[in-house]
Amino acid sequence: MTFVAQRLLMLVPVAIGVTIVVFFLIHLIPGDPARTILGIHATPQRIALLRKQWGLNRPLVSQYLLFMDRLAHGNLGQSLFYGTPARPLIIGRLPPTLWLIVYAAVLAIAISVPLATIAATRKDALRDHVVRVVPMLGLGMPPFWVGILLIYALALRVHAFPVSGYGTGFFGHLRSMFLPALTVAIALSPVVIRALRASMLNVLGAEYITTARSKGVPARRLFLRHVLRNAVIPAVTVLGINIGYLIGGTVIIENIFAIPGIGQLMINSIFRRDFPVVQGVTLVFGVLVVVVNLLADLSYAALDPRVRFDR
Amino acid sequence: MKKALVSAGALIVLAGCSSGGKSGGTTGATTGPVHGGNLVIARTADSQSMNATTVFDNESIWVFEQIYQPLYTVTNNGKGVKPWLATGYKVSPDKKTYTFTLRPGVKFSNGKPMTSADVKFSIDQTRKAAKGWGYIDSAIKSVSDPTPSTVVIHLKYPWAPLLADLSLFANGIVPNNYGGKTETQFYQHPIGTGPFKWDYWHKGSALKLVRNPYYWQKGKPYLNSVTWTYVASDNTRELQLKGGQAQIDEFPAWSTVSSLKATSGVNMHLFNSTRTDYLLFNEKRKPFQDVHVRRAISLAINRGALVKAVLFGNGQPANSFMPPQVPYYQKATAGLQYNLAQAKAEMAKSSVPHGFSTTLLIPSGTSDASTIATIMQSELKPLGIKVTIKQLDPNTAFLDAQQQKYDMTLSYWTMDIPDPDELVTFAVDPNAGSKSFFTSYNNPTVVKDAHLAEQTLSTSKRQALYNYIQAHAAADAFMAFLYYSPYAYAASSKVHGFFVTPLGNYHMENVWLSK
Repeated sequence: MTFVAQRLLMLVPVAIGVTIVVFFLIHLIPGDPARTILGIHATPQRIALLRKQWGLNRPLVSQYLLFMDRLAHGNLGQSLFYGTPARPLIIGRLPPTLWLIVYAAVLAIAISVPLATIAATRKDALRDHVVRVVPMLGLGMPPFWVGILLIYALALRVHAFPVSGYGTGFFGHLRSMFLPALTVAIALSPVVIRALRASMLNVLGAEYITTARSKGVPARRLFLRHVLRNAVIPAVTVLGINIGYLIGGTVIIENIFAIPGIGQLMINSIFRRDFPVVQGVTLVFGVLVVVVNLLADLSYAALDPRVRFDR
Repeated sequence: MKKALVSAGALIVLAGCSSGGKSGGTTGATTGPVHGGNLVIARTADSQSMNATTVFDNESIWVFEQIYQPLYTVTNNGKGVKPWLATGYKVSPDKKTYTFTLRPGVKFSNGKPMTSADVKFSIDQTRKAAKGWGYIDSAIKSVSDPTPSTVVIHLKYPWAPLLADLSLFANGIVPNNYGGKTETQFYQHPIGTGPFKWDYWHKGSALKLVRNPYYWQKGKPYLNSVTWTYVASDNTRELQLKGGQAQIDEFPAWSTVSSLKATSGVNMHLFNSTRTDYLLFNEKRKPFQDVHVRRAISLAINRGALVKAVLFGNGQPANSFMPPQVPYYQKATAGLQYNLAQAKAEMAKSSVPHGFSTTLLIPSGTSDASTIATIMQSELKPLGIKVTIKQLDPNTAFLDAQQQKYDMTLSYWTMDIPDPDELVTFAVDPNAGSKSFFTSYNNPTVVKDAHLAEQTLSTSKRQALYNYIQAHAAADAFMAFLYYSPYAYAASSKVHGFFVTPLGNYHMENVWLSK
């Protein structure tokens, strides 16, 4: 538990670091939200008035401290574009992104484990070569292309899934998010398959496996309890890191599949110079990355009893 | 709706003119309208706000036009108005007092009747909207409500565009005192007299309106609901249309128009619009004060090539800064069309006969702007003009144009009202907030005539004034008028009655879905 608490506490400096970097970077970008919102009818007087209303005329450090003060009270400020509080706007967009990430991770595991097993158990056989080569196509093809192919094949021709969108209700989400999650999983799987296959081969060559075999442990049990459990740890690391990258890259998938997630909110808010929303979303991204890594670390302990972080 | 933009960039706007394809809207099928159905419009951007008095983005306007209605509305050809929540008016002999009679039996979507107090409150709110559309009602001195069914508008001076101004969405009618709510509360769940009423808005995702049971046009609307979904990708909107997830695809890419025309189950509409695209010259920078330089560039641009390359042929070259769908547009204005020999002759007469180096500011990430810029770069070479394309992110490019931090840039205009006054003042008056469309163009005679036309009620005299303005603006080449383009909408063949006016407005009460 100490380990978990420590990792959770680490969220605080990470989040503060993220806010500092984002806050000052976004203010370096040219463009004035007051002028953007007022558009062509902007006059210097109106711009000055709006800047004052939004506190944009204050020194940057003062604006940052105000932001942090609000943050401490759970207030992410007002969206400059919508004129509504930023927090519900961000929270409302979080579930689709979380659905995408979790669903993609589950599908990636569902694809990777059997394929890696097939490859590792017959090293250098034809099926090993096939498993090593074919999934690489998924890595080589850009996700937007894979997404479009899946839509054509499974939504427009077979009508098995909706073309895009988030759906309503649990089963609606499950159905609507299948294609986007599969698109992500196809990109994730090759790396996980390779990592898992390599570690399985290592484990299969280990002495304790030979010992277990000589003691007559049934093949199925040997594989599930000894090989897979030990081999999966490096693959979890790879998956965790890739999901970390994925969190920042959800915008492409969200764009193709019209998923109203925070990736899309982020991009739109940057174009609108909607500072409070950009800051809030970045903060959420930072926290998500840390949480995913934390979960990956915790899974080590669950998978390998020898790993005890709190000792 | 919109206004000048630095090309099609972050702020999506529209308009233009010209036509093609199945223009004229979807008509009724042989069976006639049927009630029911939920229509989904997949659109390119989210709405910003439902406050009609302050927002300028089309994606908000096209939604709240289904909720709030003005006293007059724009005719289908975009050149006139017809009675809407008013049934008619009388004008005083000095042309400064208009007395409007309100349509009887009009109710808000909460069931309460609309009265003159609501109208007075609504127009007064718009007049007060200093950050929004208040300027459009600047000729109004006061509004009074002598009887529940009569509204009187007192003007500061005779004002020709009054009815056109009143037809603007910003002058739509809302309940007096926002029905007892604050302004902020009201616009979160707005109420109006329109065919649809508020259901929900999941910001960044979907906005849904449902039928108003108290709507004053008996039997309408036909649809149970209309949902606008935000689908940023052109490709995804098209796929949603083909897959039946959406029934209308707002603005398919020009490159897909011909294939959509050939797609079974899809009607590709190109509605006449008022969108006009321009190349702006900043007269605060050398050598663009020189009319010969501006004329030379204008003459060197092959507009037909731009229409082919950018619009895939779905448009027409522009001859005036006013588009054909605007009243008082003058077709006979020759404009400066492509003529390389004349362009070279103009350059020879200019202060830079051997050419010069300059920049063309465009927003990044927009393929249309990049295409135009690349073509122009090549077309201006024979004049000795070396153009460097300066790409900035759309927001910054837009702001730099407004602050006149550019040599040349791209922009466009769409009409808000069926009268040229708004565009003409914006484009040629250096003392207006727009500084002559951010060019600093200043022709005192043109400016004088523009303001004279505002207070001239005779149609023939106004036509003469606008003819003069268009001819001189073209000769001065204060902008190069590039092309007029239509509004492109792809719709399922099950959609009937969908029609977009040249101002971009549509009336969803006329739309129905066949089985």
